[in-house]
Amino acid sequence: MLEVTHLRAGYGAATVLEDVSISVDEGKFVVLTGPNGHGKTTLLRVLSGLLPAGEGEVTFLGEPLNGKSAAAIVGRGLVHIPQGDLLFVDLTVEQNLFMGAYLSAAWRSRRDRIKRVYELFPRLEERRGQQARTLSGGERRMLGIGRGLMSNARLLMVDEPALGLAPVLVQEVYATLDRIARSEATVLLVEETLANARDIADYVYLMDTGRIVHEGTMAEFGADVLSSTYLGNRGS
Amino acid sequence: METLLQAIISGLVFGAIYAIMTMGLTLVYGCLRTLNMAQGAFGMVGGYAAWVLASRAGAPPLVGLVAGAVAAAGIGILTHFISVKPLVGRKDIDFEMTAYISTLVVAIMLSASIILLFGARNKAIDPLVEGRLQIFGTVSVSWQQVAVAVVALVCLGGLSLLLNRSRQGLSIMAVAQQFDAARLMGVPAGRVYWVTMALAGMLGGIAGVLLAPLYFVSPSAGDLPILKGLTVAIVAGLGSIRGTIYAAFIIGLIEALVATYVGSLWALPVLFSLIVVFMIVRPYGLFGKPEEERL
Repeated sequence: MLEVTHLRAGYGAATVLEDVSISVDEGKFVVLTGPNGHGKTTLLRVLSGLLPAGEGEVTFLGEPLNGKSAAAIVGRGLVHIPQGDLLFVDLTVEQNLFMGAYLSAAWRSRRDRIKRVYELFPRLEERRGQQARTLSGGERRMLGIGRGLMSNARLLMVDEPALGLAPVLVQEVYATLDRIARSEATVLLVEETLANARDIADYVYLMDTGRIVHEGTMAEFGADVLSSTYLGNRGS
Repeated sequence: METLLQAIISGLVFGAIYAIMTMGLTLVYGCLRTLNMAQGAFGMVGGYAAWVLASRAGAPPLVGLVAGAVAAAGIGILTHFISVKPLVGRKDIDFEMTAYISTLVVAIMLSASIILLFGARNKAIDPLVEGRLQIFGTVSVSWQQVAVAVVALVCLGGLSLLLNRSRQGLSIMAVAQQFDAARLMGVPAGRVYWVTMALAGMLGGIAGVLLAPLYFVSPSAGDLPILKGLTVAIVAGLGSIRGTIYAAFIIGLIEALVATYVGSLWALPVLFSLIVVFMIVRPYGLFGKPEEERL
């Protein structure tokens, strides 16, 4: 579904992604993990067209995405749910959701789509007329995810959905993501704490200093790999 | 008492015009994060469009109003492509300050072009409607004032519908509030920018046509409105839509009350003192948020 090969990218002269290759198959729950500040979010920004790719190739559903605008990429169904929600805080919950269906194909069916999102997140329906800035942290996360679902998403790239949430809410968000992955769209999850996604991940990539250093199914992902990165004693 | 009422009516009417005028500044600041110094000139162009139609083709005032709005919207788009778009996204310049200067240049060039086309002399223009409406005693409003209020309310109501209900309007608000997220939703920022400038032009043009019968149509007719607009925008808090409406009426009322009770020469000095006070005490305005909260 999504193929990334030998991708290099960064901000100005600073290279963040050295040589990244990953692939996501339709229907598989793929997790990209690794310590903070090592390029996971940058990779998503390149994939969604916010940041230009330096070298390498990205194909989605068989078509190359290199040089495509962010709008064209969303239009094809590759949807990025950003870290920290990035809500439109002065718009209402409902207006935020409608913005998720901005592209004309999705806009025409926005009323059906919003019903589906409200089924998934009944809390959002209760709060539909409220400004997004008045929501609690958990509700904001729901809105961020719901807004992404309003598009014609085929593959949802979700960046750190557990960030800043209480443990009980983290479980709830992950249960919802599991449900979304089964019924709505394929999910590529960026998650620093792999344990959060232990039960739902099919395949895992471990990223460190801008490279994929390890990959495999959850079972193949030995505890040794994890501990060696997290405890910071790699190679020393 | 009657003097006070008369002053309040006049203040509300001017407030309504300032609200439309400043809304153009507010929308552009929200989306592009720069002050469009050509906003007053958009109004001046709108006034000339109405005057040309009325004096050369005998068009009724309402046609002039529409023509003024359309002409100024066109100038707004032109201004965007000439003096704003080339600066967007450039890393080597300070966009806010450079676009401020380049739009100021556009304003000066528009005035100069008008002088070349129509000369420097003031032109008079008929009000939308003639006559006065007696309320009680010596208190009365001119029908022109009523018409201004109605046009302003229709504009603000239409704008609110557009921004809150329509896809295009929501995308303007989205770009203003969270630029990256708007792009992730598929909003083409470049189009939102010029649509916003067109809207700003239209609002400026309407304000210009409404002001024209109260003053004159002249090459410098945009200078005072942009100063008032900046005053309103600063008191409101740059980029705040709700604040703009409140601040416009507050400024309109203060101006009318000062003019009535102290003397009309004092209206501008009082307003500018108000800006100075706001800059010191509350630089983010009545309804704006301090920068750290905005993030």
